[in-house]
Amino acid sequence: MERRTTSGRRSRNGGSDGRAAGDGRSGRGDSRPASDDGRSALSDGQEIGGRPSVHDPAHPGIGDPVDPRLTMPAGRVWLVVLIALLVAAVLNSEAMVRAGEGMKQGTTRDVVLAVAEPLDTVTGAVGLQLPREGFDRAFGQESKTAAGTELEQGSAAILRGRARREAKPVWRQPTPAQPLNVLVTGDSEADLVGLRMNDLDSRGLIDIETVARNGTALTNPGFFNWELNAEQEISARDPEAVVMLIGANDGFNVEADGELHAPGTPEWEPEFARRVAVVMRTLGSDGERPVYWVPPPTARDSDLDDIYRSQNRAVARAAEAVEGARYVDVYSTINDGEYSDQVRIDGREVLGRQSDGIHFNRDGALIPAEMVLDAMAKDYPVLR
Amino acid sequence: MTFPTIEFAAFFAVVLFLSWLLMPHPRLWRPFILVASYLFYGWIDWRWVLLLIGSTVVNTVFANAVARAETQVGRKRAVTAAVAFNLLLLGTFKYLGFFVSSFDDALGGIGLGSSMPVLQIVLPIGISFFTFQSISYVIDVYRGDTRPVPLMDFAILQGFFPHIVAGPIVRVNEFVPQLRTPRDPRKVLAGPGLFLIAGGLIKKTVVADELARRIVDPVFSDPGAHSGAEVLLAIYGFAAQIYCDFSGYTDMAIGLALLLGFKLPQNFDRPYLATSLRLFWHGWHMTLSRWLRDYLYIPLGGNRRGKRRTYVNLMLTMVLGGLWHGAAWTFLIWGAIHGGALSAERWLGDRFPTVRVPAWVGWLITFHVVCVAWVFFRAPDLGIAFSVLGQVGAGGPSPLVTPVLVALAAGAVAIQAIPRDFWRRAEAWFVARPIAAQGIALGLLTVIADAAIGQQGVAPFIYFQF
Repeated sequence: MERRTTSGRRSRNGGSDGRAAGDGRSGRGDSRPASDDGRSALSDGQEIGGRPSVHDPAHPGIGDPVDPRLTMPAGRVWLVVLIALLVAAVLNSEAMVRAGEGMKQGTTRDVVLAVAEPLDTVTGAVGLQLPREGFDRAFGQESKTAAGTELEQGSAAILRGRARREAKPVWRQPTPAQPLNVLVTGDSEADLVGLRMNDLDSRGLIDIETVARNGTALTNPGFFNWELNAEQEISARDPEAVVMLIGANDGFNVEADGELHAPGTPEWEPEFARRVAVVMRTLGSDGERPVYWVPPPTARDSDLDDIYRSQNRAVARAAEAVEGARYVDVYSTINDGEYSDQVRIDGREVLGRQSDGIHFNRDGALIPAEMVLDAMAKDYPVLR
Repeated sequence: MTFPTIEFAAFFAVVLFLSWLLMPHPRLWRPFILVASYLFYGWIDWRWVLLLIGSTVVNTVFANAVARAETQVGRKRAVTAAVAFNLLLLGTFKYLGFFVSSFDDALGGIGLGSSMPVLQIVLPIGISFFTFQSISYVIDVYRGDTRPVPLMDFAILQGFFPHIVAGPIVRVNEFVPQLRTPRDPRKVLAGPGLFLIAGGLIKKTVVADELARRIVDPVFSDPGAHSGAEVLLAIYGFAAQIYCDFSGYTDMAIGLALLLGFKLPQNFDRPYLATSLRLFWHGWHMTLSRWLRDYLYIPLGGNRRGKRRTYVNLMLTMVLGGLWHGAAWTFLIWGAIHGGALSAERWLGDRFPTVRVPAWVGWLITFHVVCVAWVFFRAPDLGIAFSVLGQVGAGGPSPLVTPVLVALAAGAVAIQAIPRDFWRRAEAWFVARPIAAQGIALGLLTVIADAAIGQQGVAPFIYFQF
C-alpha cells in the first residue's frame, strides 16, 4: 500500500520518487546511489530528502522482510530488559540514591529512594559498587557527595562571624597582560551571566571560566554537595576571584538538629544562611580571594519568590560573617524587587527573563553581569 | 520523561510487558498504548497532552473534510485551512514571542518605544514533530495518497511515545498499516532493537555529552580565550556531538519501537561519509528532509521550472528549514549555507558535466562545508560564530585538546564507515547468546553510560528545543 500510493503521488509531481538509482531498497549493503558524483541530471527532489525506508540491517526498513536470525520472542525480550535493568540497578545503586535525592519532593522521589536506599546498603556491604567506581575513575568523574561534611551538619557559630582582618586585603589588580582569573560557578544561572561578563570585559582584564552545575542546590547535599565541589573546584582551578550564582533550585526542606524544616518556617532561613556561609568560606579559602555571591532574582511564581526573598536575606547575613564574601543583590535592585518579564537596558524595556519566570535570558543576564562587575570594581578599581 | 532516566526505565519495563500481553486484543491494546504515550508526554507538563489531543482531533476533522469535499475548490479550501491551523499552532508557540519583541524593537527604533506585554509561552516539547506529521497527513489525504484514518489510529501515531519528542517524523502510510496487522510476538526484531537502544545511549552519554562538556561548550562560550587548535577541535567536536546527540535519540526511539513490534523510518544514514551536500541531505535527519522535499520544495516547483528557479527553490527550502529551528540569524545563515552549497553543486554539475571529482575531495569539501554551517547553528549569535571562525588560526597553548576528545570526535565519523554486514552479524551473534548474558551485557553498558554522565546528569537532547 505504501509503495503504490507513494509512487502515485510523486509521478503527479513530475519527478521520480526522490530516491536515486540503486538506493538499496532491493538489496543489501550500502544504500548510496550508484552514481554518486552529483553530475547526473537530477530529477525532482533528489537534491534534498532522504530515503528513510532503505534496507539497512541496523534500521530495518518498514517494508522489509524480517530476518529470523535477528528476532527473539517478546517474552524473552522482556526478560532481557528486566535483567539489564536489575543489573544496572544493583551496580548503580549509589547513583540511584543520588538521582532520587535530586528529584523534586513527591511520589516518584519516595519510590526511587525506597528502592534505592536499601539496595545501596546491601550492594555497598558486598562490594558491588566497585565496578561503577572503576568506570567513574575511567571517565574522570569525581564524587560530588560525601558524608559528614559541615554543609550537612555544623554549628551556626559560623554566622556570628569573627574579628575581621585589621587591614583590608589588597588584591592583585589585573592588566590585559595578566588578566584576573575568575571562576563563575553555581547552577544554570551561571552560564549566561558568565557569558555576559565576558562580553562586558572589552579591555580583556578578566579571564572567566564558567562552570555551571545545572540543577544543583545547597539544600540537597545528598544529591550534590557544594562544599565538596567547592573544594575540588578551588583546588583544580585556583581562581583569584569567584562569582557564585545559585539558589533557583533551593526549594527543598533542610535538616537541622535532626529535624526537617520547610522553606518559610523560622528555622529554614538560618540553616540556609549557615550552609551559604560554609560554601562561601570554602570558595574564598578563608578570605584568600573574594567571593561574589548572587542569590536568585525575583520569581514570577509567588511561592518561589518568597523562598528567593528569604534566600537573599540569608545570603546577606552570611556575607556579613564570612571574610571576603560579597552579597550582590539582584533581587531588590532589578525592578525594585517586583517581578517583571522585562528589564530596562539602555533606557529601553526588553524581555529579560526566560519563559520559566526564573532564569534570565541572554539580554537579561546583562544586568546581573554588570552588577557583579560593579561589585568587583570595589575590590579591583581598575575594572571601573 | 526522557529516555535515559530511572523513570523511563521503569515505565518502559511495565509498558513492554503489558503491550505484548494486550497485543492480541486490539480493543484493549489501543487505549492502553495511547494512555501510556500520553502519560510519557504529560510527565513534564500535563497541559501538553491537552494540546496534543486538540491537534489530533482538529486534524482528523480536517482530513475528513478534505476527503468528503465534493469539489476540488472545497478540497483545496479544507486543506488550506488545515495547513493554516497547523502553522498557526506552531507559530504561536515557536515564534510569537520573537515577533512581539521584534515589533516592540521596531517601535522603539522610530521613537515609539513602549512596554508591550511580552507573552511568555513555554514551547511544548515535540510540537514541531507532531505538527509536521499533521500537515503531511492532511496533504496526503488531499493528494489522494492516503485515506482518512480513524481518530484512534491517528492519535496513536501522533502520541506514540518512542517518537513523539524528537521524531522520526512518521507518515500515516508508514505507521497505521502496522496497527492493522497483528504484530507477531514470536518474531520481535530484538537484535536491531537492542543494538539501536544501546548504541544510541552510548552515542549520547559517552560521545555527545563528553564533547559538549569538555570542549564544545567552553569554546563556544568564549572563543577568544582559546587557541586555534582548541577552536578547531570544538568545531569538529560539535559536528560529532550533534550527530551523536540527535541520531542517538532517534536510534533509541526506533529501537524502543522495534521492541514493541513497530518499525519507524530511518532518520540518519551515514551523513558524514557523504561526498556531496546532496548526499549529506539524503542521510541527515532524513524524515525532515523528505518532509521539506515533499511538502515545500516540490510544491515550490522543485527543479521543473528551470535552473534559476531550482536554485531559488533550493535556497528557500533550506533557509525555511533553518528558520524552523528558531527565528535567528544564525539558523538563517545555516540554512543559506546549505541552500547555497546545494545550488552550487547543481550548477557545477550542469556547467562541467564531464569533470570527475575524486571521492575523497568531495568528502573533504562536503564535510567542511557542513562543519562551517554547524558553527552558525551552535553559536548563540553571529558575533560568537564569526569569533569562532576567526579564531581558528590563533596560536597559544591548547590544554583542552586531549587524545580522548580527538578520538571521540574522529570516532563519531569513523564509526559510520563500519560495514553494515558487521552490525548484522553482531546482532545475530548477540541474539544467539544466553538470556542472562544478554541482560548482564546490557546492564553493564547502562552502568558505563551512567558513569559517563556523572553527577551533573544527562544534558538535554539538542533537538528537544526545536
